[in-house]
Amino acid sequence: MERISTHQFMTLGSAVLMGVTFLPIASNVTGACGRDGWMAVLPGFAIGIPYGLMVLSLLEKYPQKNLLQISETLFGKWIGKIIGCIYILISSYFGGLLLAQLGDVFQRSIMPLTPRWLFCVGGLLLVLYLVSAGIEVFARFSEVVFPVIVIALCLNIALSIPRIEQGELLPILSGGLKPLFFGVLKVMPFSMSYIFILAGILAFLPADKQELGQMKTGVWRAVFLVGILDTLVALMQILVFGPAETIRLVYGLLVLGKMVEISRTVSGIESLFMGVWLGAWIIKISAFLFAAIWGLESVFGLTGLKWKFAVGTVFLGITFGFVRGPSLIREIGLMEDYVILPFTSVWILTLWAVSRWKKGAGS
Amino acid sequence: MRSWLKMIKELTIRPKGERKLRQPPSYSFDEDMNKPLSGVKVKEILSASSDVVFRDFFLQGKESIPCLLVVVDGMVDKTQLDQFILKPLMVDFAGHPEVAQLTLANVVDRTLQRLLPGLELKKVFKMGEVLDAILSGDAVIFFGDSIEALVFGARGWDKRAVTEPPTEAVVKGPHEGFGETLRINTSLLRRKIKHPSLRMISLKLGSLTNTDLVVTYMDKIASPDIVSEVLRRLNSINMDSALGNGYIEEMIEDNPYSPFPQVAYTERPDVLAGKLLEGKIGIILDGTPIVVVVPATLTQFLNVNEDYYERPLAVILFRFVRYLGAFVALLAPSIYIAVTTFHQEIIPTDLLMNISAGREGVPFPALLEAIIMMVVLEILQEAGLRLPKPIGQTMGIVGALVIGDAAVKAGLVSPLMVIIVGLTAVSNYSIPYYDLSLAVRIIRFPLMILAGVLGFFGVSVGIYVIAIHLLSLRSFGVPYLSPISPLRIRALLQDTFVRVPRWALKRRPQLIDVKEPRSGGKGKR
Repeated sequence: MERISTHQFMTLGSAVLMGVTFLPIASNVTGACGRDGWMAVLPGFAIGIPYGLMVLSLLEKYPQKNLLQISETLFGKWIGKIIGCIYILISSYFGGLLLAQLGDVFQRSIMPLTPRWLFCVGGLLLVLYLVSAGIEVFARFSEVVFPVIVIALCLNIALSIPRIEQGELLPILSGGLKPLFFGVLKVMPFSMSYIFILAGILAFLPADKQELGQMKTGVWRAVFLVGILDTLVALMQILVFGPAETIRLVYGLLVLGKMVEISRTVSGIESLFMGVWLGAWIIKISAFLFAAIWGLESVFGLTGLKWKFAVGTVFLGITFGFVRGPSLIREIGLMEDYVILPFTSVWILTLWAVSRWKKGAGS
Repeated sequence: MRSWLKMIKELTIRPKGERKLRQPPSYSFDEDMNKPLSGVKVKEILSASSDVVFRDFFLQGKESIPCLLVVVDGMVDKTQLDQFILKPLMVDFAGHPEVAQLTLANVVDRTLQRLLPGLELKKVFKMGEVLDAILSGDAVIFFGDSIEALVFGARGWDKRAVTEPPTEAVVKGPHEGFGETLRINTSLLRRKIKHPSLRMISLKLGSLTNTDLVVTYMDKIASPDIVSEVLRRLNSINMDSALGNGYIEEMIEDNPYSPFPQVAYTERPDVLAGKLLEGKIGIILDGTPIVVVVPATLTQFLNVNEDYYERPLAVILFRFVRYLGAFVALLAPSIYIAVTTFHQEIIPTDLLMNISAGREGVPFPALLEAIIMMVVLEILQEAGLRLPKPIGQTMGIVGALVIGDAAVKAGLVSPLMVIIVGLTAVSNYSIPYYDLSLAVRIIRFPLMILAGVLGFFGVSVGIYVIAIHLLSLRSFGVPYLSPISPLRIRALLQDTFVRVPRWALKRRPQLIDVKEPRSGGKGKR
């Protein structure tokens, strides 16, 4: 069975947690709590820490099993299978939506005359190639690509500094602390999609005590790294565009990329940034494709390359069958807020509680 | 249809387990190979070969025992034969007290132990051994009808002097290189590492060529798992010939369809010694100066031996230039195509005006223009490689200057395209390993097509495909992108993109399972 190292767990976790959250995050949090939205990002991501630790504590007790298999053990076969089916449906549908988002964003931002399906098919082929290479290669891919994403983000933020207008950030906390709570609620789904994927990766993680400790630290690091980066992204967009414009620009970072100019010579380099963001999309979509595959394997015992292609085809069907633009963004938001967030938070919490209760009852 | 499918499968899929290739036909003497020895039979088998010399003679003072000396003309040292075999046996034995006691039953043992001098002298019993010895250049002496014979190591043939390999020339550092003779090559290596832990395991490859091969490694430094895997793969090869390193490379590498080389090679003893001390394994094949080194990782193909003879700061510069060169060689044409076709907004306005002016009148789109120029470049490179040196240089000048200039003047290509092609060609030469530069040349074309169809999105897809491929490659179990992924920070900072001073190279590279720390620079400042 394939295995990933603790370092790869951290980078893979960070890459999955980050995904392409840096694109809508500023708009989301600013929409919920105005110019103070950037303050809600890190606490929102931090919700992922207790959940991540709960998942790792389940790994300690049930090594080499994913949460679907653990659910069958703890809740019984049929409830476990129902949870597995929900897991497959969510991962397939959300993966397809992300693929549609990839095509939509590429077409709208840098190549408006190229058909959208070309981007979707190109992205899907890349995802299928990565998924067919296995979880080890996926982990290594994240290990290589995630630092590049971080560097590109930092560059994008740093190169936007000349366009900052400091007044946009003030007054701080003018609406009190209450709006921040709603901002946190807007960020929480991102953490939950990370936990959602973590539920499947679990089976490939080492389970000895020292490595478990390192992985727990890895969860902290991933959450803080991504949280800080996304906070900076949100902060920079508020500083450059102001709160009203930040809410309006759903993918504000792409606009920031367009505005980058160095010494009045280098400009319009958003297409270079898009090349890097493509890597982030590939990681996120691959993670959901992996999740669907793990679900099929755990619930129905379906394995092999043909099922990976079958899930890929489902992704493509959802991609082409769905409306574009604002409707797509709304659909992704609805999935995150009303499906992934409640399902994952309730599932993991219940599973962990039942596991503790059974342990207590057993002892 | 089925036979077609079978043929296609045979031609495309490498069999697992034993790797059988062209098998030799069966010969009438095949069955005799494991039978007891017979001088008459040997003579019968080899009499059709005009280069085999049979010399009949008698022992001086013992004419009852006829002797037969068999050698291959041109492969033995005749002076040694005359001085240490024929002269003692035919002249010097006269009146020797031992000679009187010789019988057909004891002649081989007594000659071996008491009469003939010579370090490389041994007794053989089997036909196969005798034929192998004769055809490898040893002299074999048969005594009457005895079922034993003596093999005298007197190999001697014309060989190339130890010279500097032209493909791995250095400014600072040793100038000796391997040759075509196995034993000379092993001796050159042994002179570099005078330690009993240097192991050399001899094998034979090719049922017709019987090519000698030595697997060499440092005991307790090389991973035992990798050593046994190398030996397993070599032993699983079953083919009739092994005339050069290329014959075994494709048989033992992990992914035969990857454009990237998965085994490294060198013609220099110092490089091989360095690699062995890092825990790698060398495969020295008789008849070729190229030694195969495994396992291989991508980054080692961009580092050269001179990096260890120059000062660290200079090495940082050289390596940066090489990595940049590889990047430019791979991506320059596709970036040009993507920018001019889809992303003109990146180009500063003044430059954009110049490019537009240069492209005015060019009838082809940027993609076609680039592909035409790249194909011309490939033709020039291939033609220049096979031609004699002076003509090759002329070809280069004619190709680069005359054809390039004429193509621009004729309006077939833009001036910037010629610059891009020239830059790409020059950058390609900054890649030190030929196999890697070939991989870059191959990959460049699909990247150009992707750039022409999908702009930077296509280039990005191409780069990610290459990345996934590289990440999934392994060389004898070692990840090909190590130490970048799996990340080995010390190895990465110590001797990958940069090289720290020698006194800081305290540990061996963590590419493979090496067991002991390097202590060479301990305490030095």
